[in-house]
Amino acid sequence: MASVTISGVEKWFGTLQILHGIDIDIEDQEFVVLVGPSGCGKSTLLRMIAGLESISDGEISIGTRMINDVPARDRDIAMVFQNYALYPHMSVFDNIGFSLKLRKRSKQEISEKINEAAEILDLTPYLERSPRQLSGGQRQRVAMGRALVRDAQVFLFDEPLSNLDAKLRVVMRTEIKALHQRLKTTSVYVTHDQIEAMTMADRIVVMNKGRVEQIGTPMDLYDFPANLFVADFIGSPSMNFIEGIVAADNEGPFVTAKDGTRLAISRESSAALGQKVVYGARPEHLVLASGNEGFDATIEVIEPTGPNIQIFADVAGQRICALSTERRTHKPGQRIRLHCPETSVHLFDASSGARI
Amino acid sequence: MTPKLKKSLLYWLLLSPLCVVILLPFGIMFVTALRPRDELFVYPPTWTFSEFRWENFAEMWVKTNFGGALLNSLYVSLTSTIIAIALSIPAAYALSRYRFSGKGLYRNFLLMTQMMSPIVLVLGLFRLMVHLNLVNSLNSLVVTYVAFNMAFTIWMLQSYFNTIPRELEEASWIDGATGFTSLVKIFLPLAIPAMVVTAIFTFINSWNEFVLALTLIRSQNDYTLPVQIFSQVAGRYQVEWHHVMAATVLATVPVAIVFSWLQRYLIRGMALGAVK
Repeated sequence: MASVTISGVEKWFGTLQILHGIDIDIEDQEFVVLVGPSGCGKSTLLRMIAGLESISDGEISIGTRMINDVPARDRDIAMVFQNYALYPHMSVFDNIGFSLKLRKRSKQEISEKINEAAEILDLTPYLERSPRQLSGGQRQRVAMGRALVRDAQVFLFDEPLSNLDAKLRVVMRTEIKALHQRLKTTSVYVTHDQIEAMTMADRIVVMNKGRVEQIGTPMDLYDFPANLFVADFIGSPSMNFIEGIVAADNEGPFVTAKDGTRLAISRESSAALGQKVVYGARPEHLVLASGNEGFDATIEVIEPTGPNIQIFADVAGQRICALSTERRTHKPGQRIRLHCPETSVHLFDASSGARI
Repeated sequence: MTPKLKKSLLYWLLLSPLCVVILLPFGIMFVTALRPRDELFVYPPTWTFSEFRWENFAEMWVKTNFGGALLNSLYVSLTSTIIAIALSIPAAYALSRYRFSGKGLYRNFLLMTQMMSPIVLVLGLFRLMVHLNLVNSLNSLVVTYVAFNMAFTIWMLQSYFNTIPRELEEASWIDGATGFTSLVKIFLPLAIPAMVVTAIFTFINSWNEFVLALTLIRSQNDYTLPVQIFSQVAGRYQVEWHHVMAATVLATVPVAIVFSWLQRYLIRGMALGAVK
């Protein structure tokens, strides 16, 4: 096990720059998730750690060893691929044991290790089968097993769950997390699914267009998104945004939306009067208000999810989403008042997108 | 009659003219090969004959030096197939896996060579072989067959290689394999169907090739089967048609049987290449 240090890493494909100077310090035993929309460079970065892509500039170290020029086979890492990449012509047993065979371990040691991994992953009855005879979840486990027997310094996961159906994905998510808690191997996990990132990570790295937007614990990112991108990306359903201008009167500061809707903000906010801002409120912070509190909204669509109800409503010409646990019978077209407590409001500068 | 049966009957009816065109020469070939000599030219021609003369084959074998030509053909076809495949694998692998400048150009060049008939080049090739002192050597055929088939084999193998996920090799590198180990233990075993299919095509191309063999091989001892059979017809005072036909049966039928047996690979290989 070891730490991973990524400093000033750039990636160029010809004249196209994919990664713009990435700096991430991954501590020993940490589970770090790289998350971002497709094309943000997260998989490329992972493949650079793995040694499958060259490093155009900057340095990557595992432990104290700089690995820029070390071939993949000598980096002492294990990787789980999106499509599992199981060797189709080998049995599960041989798939898991391939790396050990290449390292010329004794037959006894190999089979001991494979059996141990198979036990952890519930694969013992399937060792003689070929990958083609396994279900998606079982294939996924074989891919994990292949990584397990290696005792590698670092585990790399490249969207390992995206080929599974929704239910299995949740199960495997928990299994991977449990496995990490047990083995404590430093892990780097790539996904575009922010829920996977939130649930699994010790720390999340949010990436966009080849840059790191924010690094932090899941709750950090959720409660204090550094900019509009992170605020929008983390959380489901995602944060509501309303553009406006900061103003104040004797009741305190507020944001005026285009149509004059008044959105109250905290007195402690450092936003300047007249500043163009984006007002952000998470759906679960928007509550149905009574009296003068909050602002007007017109219900457009109602979507019950079971535990709560998603109310999509029009506020100042923009569609926003509010989560309600009350089973009141609202109807589309109905006028309601929504309120977001001032302490839960996020403010971002409209031009830079940075948190205020 | 079920609609399905009606449909099949209709299709067969539509196909039947084509079947006749394809099957008639084979029919005549078999019937003539098995006929006694004095029943060759009866008028009007008949499909029937008085006895099955299996001896025709044995006589033909000795008289036409069939065995020698068969060995020549086998040597030329097998060697050129093996060399073509062995050289095409690295080329196809490079085309499929590496980025290099001129790749598109090279692919187009390969395709363009297929548009040229070997007959157009036969004179030039002859001069080349004279220069290389290879005329009248079976190896001249091996060299040219390899060259002519390689464009096709590279193209075929490459399109199949493209369907083998890159991640399999990457996974093996991470597992600790060198490039070569990964190729031998992971990549090539998965490419067997493609290699078999391509080998079949190359073998059959070489087996049937006539013009180059006729031009480059001068001595009767080195004739391949198509030329040997041709020599039983061309420029003779009297053509022993029953021997000629017996020889064609022996030259085509075994290959056809092997081919149809390997067809399962052909279909699997092609389907895999297309759909996977």
